[in-house]
Amino acid sequence: MNATIGLEIHVHLKTWSKLFCSCTTDIDGKEPNTEVCPICLGYPGSKPKLNKKAVDFGITLALALESNIEPELRFSRKNYFYPDMSKNFQITQYEVPLASGGFLLVDDHRIGITRVHLEEDPAKLTHVGGGITNARETLIDYNRAGMPLVEIVTDPDIESTEEARAFLEKLSLILDHLGVYDPTAEGVLRVDANISIEGGNRVEVKNITGFKNVEKALNYEVIRQKSAKNMGVDIVRETRHYDAGSGITSTLRLKEDEEDYGYIAEPDLVKTNLTEDWIGRMKASMPELPDQRINRLELQYGIPRFQASIIVRTGLQMSEFFEKSCRLHDDQKEVCNWLVTFLLKSLNYEDMSLSESKVTPETFVEILELISEGTISNRLAKELIKDYVKTGKSPRKIVEEKNLGLLSEEELGKIVVSVVNEFPQAVEDYRGGKSKAAEYLIGQVLRRIRARATANDVRRLVLEELD
Amino acid sequence: MSFIDRIRELDDKYHFINAYAGDEPYGEGLLSGYAVSVKDNVCVKGLESKAGSKILEGYVPPFDATVVVKSRAEGGIIIGKTTQDEFGFGTFNVNTPYKVPLNPHDVERSTGGSSGGAACLTEVADFKHVAISESTGGSISCPASWCGVVGITPTYGRVSRWGLIDYANSLDKIGVMAKTVKEAAMFLGVISGPDKYDSTVLNTPVPDYTQLGSVEGVRIGVPKEYLGKGVDHKVEEQVWGSIKKLESRGASISEISLPHTKYSLSSYYIIAMAEASTNLAKFSGLRYGLQNPIEGDFNQYFSKVRAEGMGDETKRRIILGSFTRMAGYRNAYYLKALKVRTRVIEDFKKAFKEVDVLAAPTMPVVAPRFDEIAELEPIQHYMMDILTVAPNLAGIPMVTVPCGNVDGMPVGLHLMSDHLNEVKALEAAQEVEQG
Repeated sequence: MNATIGLEIHVHLKTWSKLFCSCTTDIDGKEPNTEVCPICLGYPGSKPKLNKKAVDFGITLALALESNIEPELRFSRKNYFYPDMSKNFQITQYEVPLASGGFLLVDDHRIGITRVHLEEDPAKLTHVGGGITNARETLIDYNRAGMPLVEIVTDPDIESTEEARAFLEKLSLILDHLGVYDPTAEGVLRVDANISIEGGNRVEVKNITGFKNVEKALNYEVIRQKSAKNMGVDIVRETRHYDAGSGITSTLRLKEDEEDYGYIAEPDLVKTNLTEDWIGRMKASMPELPDQRINRLELQYGIPRFQASIIVRTGLQMSEFFEKSCRLHDDQKEVCNWLVTFLLKSLNYEDMSLSESKVTPETFVEILELISEGTISNRLAKELIKDYVKTGKSPRKIVEEKNLGLLSEEELGKIVVSVVNEFPQAVEDYRGGKSKAAEYLIGQVLRRIRARATANDVRRLVLEELD
Repeated sequence: MSFIDRIRELDDKYHFINAYAGDEPYGEGLLSGYAVSVKDNVCVKGLESKAGSKILEGYVPPFDATVVVKSRAEGGIIIGKTTQDEFGFGTFNVNTPYKVPLNPHDVERSTGGSSGGAACLTEVADFKHVAISESTGGSISCPASWCGVVGITPTYGRVSRWGLIDYANSLDKIGVMAKTVKEAAMFLGVISGPDKYDSTVLNTPVPDYTQLGSVEGVRIGVPKEYLGKGVDHKVEEQVWGSIKKLESRGASISEISLPHTKYSLSSYYIIAMAEASTNLAKFSGLRYGLQNPIEGDFNQYFSKVRAEGMGDETKRRIILGSFTRMAGYRNAYYLKALKVRTRVIEDFKKAFKEVDVLAAPTMPVVAPRFDEIAELEPIQHYMMDILTVAPNLAGIPMVTVPCGNVDGMPVGLHLMSDHLNEVKALEAAQEVEQG
């Protein structure tokens, strides 16, 4: 759906410890308020201490987004009262971000990156007995307080809700390739979206978690704004809240009530010089990015570009899976075909990601080996892969257990003899000159052996028996 | 009689302790046998640390300030928390719901503030004692001079602030008070130096502050803006007396100008209040300190707790500080104040090319009487800091040393030197002390 969209994306960085203290970032599933210390709880007397690893990650991401990195890293206090804030200010970057003026290409459309900056995450709120506006009570978990976030702000260059989703998919692919985030962690990617349609004011939708919700929330907003316009109602400038449960947005505050954050420089943190040397080191250790990888897969393995693209876009793990499989099996085009056509299809059908399934390159190439050594037919292999994806069991074992291997000449001969004996009329017809009768018998055999022999072998043996 | 018993006896008379520490074992080191008192805004693990504010009543820090750790490591015994103006907001130590300390030289008069309890105890102690105190705009120099003790405010970044309940982080400096220059200098050496818990601490090695030379050949400058109008002439006389003494010991005296002095007070109060208003936001009656039964929504709850737990001066500074950083005013106030601060620093940097030490009265008058203080407007309170805020804004080290009396009340000489050059000011202070 067409619209003008700008996104602010918050991503948890996969450092070991929080942004300003040494508490762990491994908080998924932890008892609330157990991974905390005086710093992330904002206790009087405590002071923040910058985690340099988060800066490394920020620089790497800024480089991947072709942004200009500032020579000095500074932090500010963004002041507002909210129960998820341990200090009632957030340490973030204001006047001068970590980096600015970058871009990301999405299907050859250049989406400007306004800025990339680092900040701490507030605590996590759980509203009990209602939503954000009417909950009976709200529980606070400070485990999330102080988690390192990178915020990526785009220019309003995104032209449709579909493009917003494509942008986010590409961004997350880059984050994944850079190794700076954990795509499986809870709430790892949160989005605020600015969206407007022609002739309307800009509306900000806050608090959207995950890509699928972004597209849903934006579609909802476009429809809401379009119907308002059609009815002649003004689209007011406001901030709206997205509720993932109901899939709708609702007014949080109007523009006139926009908060004044009264920023000041964070006086407990000194300026950090982002030296040429530091940035140079980050450049030198920059991993391969998705677009580069597509090019390389195409060249190195001689596979079609669209297939290379599918493999890379599926995720870093899939590319790694593909390349490892290629090292284990000589026919790399076959590896690619089977992976793109059948493995991915089965994973989608089971609604599983690679990491959720138990498939491995070692067991995956067994299928190709079973085919090339003549143990199973192509057709049975296509059946087998469904079972394999579902269970993760070794394909060789599945073949044994389910007796799916090709029949020997002798076994097949016995079946042919029994079928010929079973249909004397057909034999008579054939011998009487009706050559079509043989086809009937071949069909009967094929039905009985369920792809455990090739049609050619069956035809040969049936004709031999008849003649 | 133990330390604690004697301190209780004195405290009954002069009112300087907010919380007493438990018994601590005697240790070995430079502070062996010393009682160490800690200003209420410096955290001591397990000991109520409320920075003189009701909103922090019951806050027992789960960690020690670095200066406390370093004091204990040299054998010092932490004896308790000394009273102060709420969060350091004051010049007379009267802005607190807790004890208002009395000046040992005249109990009708103020000790000065905000480290009033520290100065009072330092003066009355008849046992080995040093005080951990803290200055944002003059909170060490003012009470030390009015109570007649030595106070050192070190270079910003010389001493770790880990464990200090912030007033204005870019101005706050933990320092020391003692009866003599030598003890104060020794104690400064103990608490100084790098600390992994405070990014703003300088990595420079700590010299031996007790190795002090003479003032022979030392160039002393007297800022003309620090004398004359507003300074009591009797105080000025005492100050000139000690400056002449330094001259007689071989120092050279010259007049110097710090042209941005008149802007330093405004710049100081804007920066201090802007930072303070953000620091104080965390006190919302959740997690620690004063708590009420949960009633109403979050905004209603924390507003009520803050209304109850904070004093008038604190509220005034939150309002003013928030105003100076609001969109539309930020450029005119907060950001401009930061620029003025740079000019004030340049003033000092220029002066220290010509002289080694600056000398001036620490306070323009002797300690005022409580009934006089009650008559003063808030702005007159702020004006009292006119001589101490500029060096605090510049983050240079300063030492106040007793240099005489006016009507029985002590007068302090303020000696200031360049960043990290504490030694120069201490040498001059020791010379004055030796009389």
